[in-house]
Amino acid sequence: MTQTWHVTYEIFRKKGDQSTHYDRFEMKVDPDEYVLDGIERIWAFHDRSLVFSHACHHSTCGACGMVVNGVEKLTCITPIRSVTKDGGVIRVQPMRNFPVISDLSVDMTVFYQRMESVGHQPVVSVGFEDSKGKLDSEDDLLRLSDCIECGLCISACPIALTTPAYLGPAVLAGAQQSGDLNPCVLELVDSENGAWRCHSAYECTEVCPSHVDPAWRIMDLRKKLVARRIKKFFGVK
Amino acid sequence: MRDGFDVTPRSGEGAGLWFLKILTGFLVIIVLIIHLIVNHLIVEGGLLTYADVVRYYQNPIIPIMEIAFLIFVVTHALMGLRSVLLDLHPSNKVLKLINYGLVVLGVGSIAYGTWLILVIVGRG
Amino acid sequence: MAEHPQKPANLIKWFDPRNKSLGSWAFILNRITGLGLTLYLFLHLIMLGQLARGPEAYDGFIALVKNPIFLVGELLVIAAAFIHGLNGIRIGITSFGIAGGKQKQLFIGLMTVAVIAIVYFAIRMFTH
Repeated sequence: MTQTWHVTYEIFRKKGDQSTHYDRFEMKVDPDEYVLDGIERIWAFHDRSLVFSHACHHSTCGACGMVVNGVEKLTCITPIRSVTKDGGVIRVQPMRNFPVISDLSVDMTVFYQRMESVGHQPVVSVGFEDSKGKLDSEDDLLRLSDCIECGLCISACPIALTTPAYLGPAVLAGAQQSGDLNPCVLELVDSENGAWRCHSAYECTEVCPSHVDPAWRIMDLRKKLVARRIKKFFGVK
Repeated sequence: MRDGFDVTPRSGEGAGLWFLKILTGFLVIIVLIIHLIVNHLIVEGGLLTYADVVRYYQNPIIPIMEIAFLIFVVTHALMGLRSVLLDLHPSNKVLKLINYGLVVLGVGSIAYGTWLILVIVGRG
Repeated sequence: MAEHPQKPANLIKWFDPRNKSLGSWAFILNRITGLGLTLYLFLHLIMLGQLARGPEAYDGFIALVKNPIFLVGELLVIAAAFIHGLNGIRIGITSFGIAGGKQKQLFIGLMTVAVIAIVYFAIRMFTH
């Protein structure tokens, strides 16, 4: 049985240098639809100038991350029921800590570059246990790695909020996942804007839609970096 | 900042300072536990008069412990303060001033505290 | 970078606990108690300067801090010290990769200890 809810979308709008504002759209929705479905309908039937990023609609591409009622959500898998009630408001904002291109769409170029620089593997062998970092080289079947590079963790991170120079949770988790701490990667992650900048707020793990557990990975990375330094100090190769 | 990578080297908080913060924090906890036990459980009636304090400081372990405590606490506090200040985006120039300021403040307060402890010891 | 996303107003947003999870509360609490304890440290050092000025100055100072207002202040310092110290243990051990997945339980456990300790000291101070 389908239900019908009346909800109000409050959408953040930003066009070029014009001042930002929120547009309100009264919508009839099924509470089991996803937040992104409503945004698409607003674009289709109410305002064709609305800019937002989306692609796969099944939490694989990581394009549709937004801030919904103050919390980072992957909107394609976030049921409307989980963020509001009948007659309630859904306030949609672009992700924090990224430059806004227009409306709900943000520029993630720097983030993708960093992910590549630390050697994060977006595609891994099916034998690869993401959380243990073990690779079974016998297997030639591939799957996507846990991190879908949606950027939600960076948006939620209180340290990324204070400085764009901080690499951010996903990037540090990417370095931990790849496990290849070559000198180039080390220079990035074993630095003031790398693993040591984290202040253990654990917001990244809280918002991650894909069970990457970036906070745990940052801590694990620290453990590895400390172990490396101790070995180096005692001259062990 | 170019392509998302910081190109100007800064003396922010790297592994060394981070580790020092954790280490001094740990040492503060250890000394504080000893301090609480000695001050409140072993010394009868606490240290509420001048004479008590002076007598307390005659045991040579006490001033040594207090000076160590002073060094750990001041180091930990000022490094913590620096972490907070780093989040306010100081430019390299301002950061340099902050560094000098904190070092002067730290060395100054450790010297002052040590002097104070030695004065008390000398009054015994 | 197209545009610096940080506006000056953003710089103290670490202070804003709205829509945040437990970890952020721990982070905010740790910072506030840390800053408070730093302030206390320097006040304490300045106040102890009374010791150098001789017995009368120090005993007069002790009489002053037996005032209830100072007792409340002292209790705040004790509370901040317990919260910051116990939370510091959590940050320290999780930072070395120990109990990283259990940080919430660890936080709740340690803060329970902190609350018990604070209540104990409060009762002790105000019944004497």
